[in-house]
Amino acid sequence: MPGDVQLRALTKQYDETLAVDAIDASINAGEFFSLLGPSGCGKTTTLRMIAGFVRPTSGEILLDGVDVAQVPPHNRNVHTVFQNYALFPHLNVFDNIAFGLRRQKVGKAEVRRRVEESLELVELGGMGARRPQQLSGGQQQRVALARALVLRPAVLLLDEPLGALDAKIRKQLRLELKALQEEVGITFVFVTHDQEEALSMSDRVAVMSKGRIEQIGTPAEVYESPATVFVADFLGVSNLMDAEAIPEPEHADDRCTVAVGDFRLRAAAGDVAASGPVKVVARPERVELLEHGAERANCLPGMVERTVYVGASVQVMVRLATGAQLQASIANTGHADGYQQGTPVCVHIPEDALRILGDSGAAPPPAPAPAPEIAGASA
Amino acid sequence: MSTTVATPEAPPRDSAPAPVTQKRSLVPKFLRNPWGQPRFLVAITWTYIAWALVPVLIAILFSFNAGKSRSVWQGFSIRWWWGDPTQSIFHDPEYTQALVHSLLLAGLDMLIATPLGVLLAIGLSRWRGRGSGVSNSLMLIPLVTPEIVMAVSLLVVFTQLAIFPFSAIHLGTTAQVIGQVTFSLSYVVVIIRSRLVSIGPQYEEAARDLGATSWGAIRLVLLPLLMPAILASMLIVFALSIDDFVVTQYMSSTASTTTIPMYLYSNARGGTSTPALNALATILVSTTLLAIAIGYLVYSVLGRRTASSRGGASALRELSGMEA
Repeated sequence: MPGDVQLRALTKQYDETLAVDAIDASINAGEFFSLLGPSGCGKTTTLRMIAGFVRPTSGEILLDGVDVAQVPPHNRNVHTVFQNYALFPHLNVFDNIAFGLRRQKVGKAEVRRRVEESLELVELGGMGARRPQQLSGGQQQRVALARALVLRPAVLLLDEPLGALDAKIRKQLRLELKALQEEVGITFVFVTHDQEEALSMSDRVAVMSKGRIEQIGTPAEVYESPATVFVADFLGVSNLMDAEAIPEPEHADDRCTVAVGDFRLRAAAGDVAASGPVKVVARPERVELLEHGAERANCLPGMVERTVYVGASVQVMVRLATGAQLQASIANTGHADGYQQGTPVCVHIPEDALRILGDSGAAPPPAPAPAPEIAGASA
Repeated sequence: MSTTVATPEAPPRDSAPAPVTQKRSLVPKFLRNPWGQPRFLVAITWTYIAWALVPVLIAILFSFNAGKSRSVWQGFSIRWWWGDPTQSIFHDPEYTQALVHSLLLAGLDMLIATPLGVLLAIGLSRWRGRGSGVSNSLMLIPLVTPEIVMAVSLLVVFTQLAIFPFSAIHLGTTAQVIGQVTFSLSYVVVIIRSRLVSIGPQYEEAARDLGATSWGAIRLVLLPLLMPAILASMLIVFALSIDDFVVTQYMSSTASTTTIPMYLYSNARGGTSTPALNALATILVSTTLLAIAIGYLVYSVLGRRTASSRGGASALRELSGMEA
């Protein structure tokens, strides 16, 4: 099946700034692949290089094994759904969708058949005579999809296609888009800054920061096993804490002791072979709150600082005795009102929920810890 | 406001608040009301409009005078327009000649300056790099150059310079058209460029993404989207040309290259002119107004239909800014 994309040392340098810094990625045919990152991380530039609007400074873009890095956009079998759809306002829906087919000199009857077919695909049958301006945002988005899909591209590029829609339609279109992708079986490369969007639709996600790919993996992998501090921090609230790793030689393979302030905890996830200063992370939904004074392993004393009611859950901010702040997300079972401000609690982090992040060179935005190699050597 | 209400620090809780007492003022009450209509402003505005328009309306009115006078009303007639077999504007060869020549120049200017200006604007909008910023600002200079300076410079260049392209240009219709194109081109470039900015690069990119070549994207997407602005520029160029006096005058040669404004200039003070002169002026005013009105309508109606949501309203503003 066509639609396999390989990026090799792909780089884009604008005058002073390195927008995309020698990234490598391999996107499988038929895969829903997301480029996720904050604005300015290079995800859109990467997409525009695959589309052909931006010429790479160096590197290769292999589309089914052929390097297309220097091929102009109109000669690539790759089509784009633009952020604001870019539907031609002077043409009606039918002519918008037929635009690409007519450029390929497809016969009149065939154009009609394929346009009708793709209108049906996106559930807009009979809307061909409308002008784009007469459609709702969600409908425009579907026309943009139909316009690209009618050309049967090997790869469909989507540049934040849900960004312009309001929250409710967005959630609904997420499901539809994923279902559509499964139906047509085309490789989708999806750019977004919305982690929920990326996690809920993708087969695999590439998390980008400052022109580099931090981690590529399935949604579960990048969320549950973030490889770097950046990934942990960007994908949801991550409760990052500074800690000191103390290796346990007899359990070197599966766990390690970390010192958080004066407290010792067991951590069984992440870089358990680390030693010296590290960052540890625990997802709020894995953090448990116990009564003050509970005698359990992996517990830290703290005090409730603030409670935020968000409906399905209650977010409890706890100030730990070590001075760090930790967020716990407690499912709303109707009894979550016990966490008043100032309540002393015991924060329990199961050892498999406490992940050690080896410093992989990508310094996190807050002040970086002293160089780990030197500290480790002196210990 | 100067009131004598209790200070906010110590509001008397038990008694009702004291009524707001207003100082007596010489300004009438309806002008003091901050929520009222801005009547004073309205009055000034209408005074100005009357001041500017009444003389023109009087001139137009006198083109329908029954007598020969251009200052004493002697009854209504259309003799200076059509009725008089020798002296009405459509029977006197001097008048008809000026009218025809004005329309000819306006037509040529429109057909030459608009396509050139569109191409120039498209070119400038995609030129990035050294010199592009400077050239973009330099394009605006013809808009602010005193017309007389441009006219005299062109005259010198066309009559004194013996270097090829200039030596081939002789005063008369050719020089008049070139002179008018020279200054009207900037207007076209400014209108088209502002439209290009509001269209943005995304439609062209979409066209190229769907398989159109660069030229195909311009022809199939960009030009249709620019069409309201192109039509509006054509009509504005037409109005500019019909109205122009200075450049057209300097570039003229014989009596056959006289235009309406030139004719009006040389005859307005003479005692021999008839109300037919007023009729000619009326034609000048109405063609200009008509061209601008059509341009405005085309731009707003077509613009609204073809533009993206943000295009329409701002495009209108750009155009009204242009005419000022």
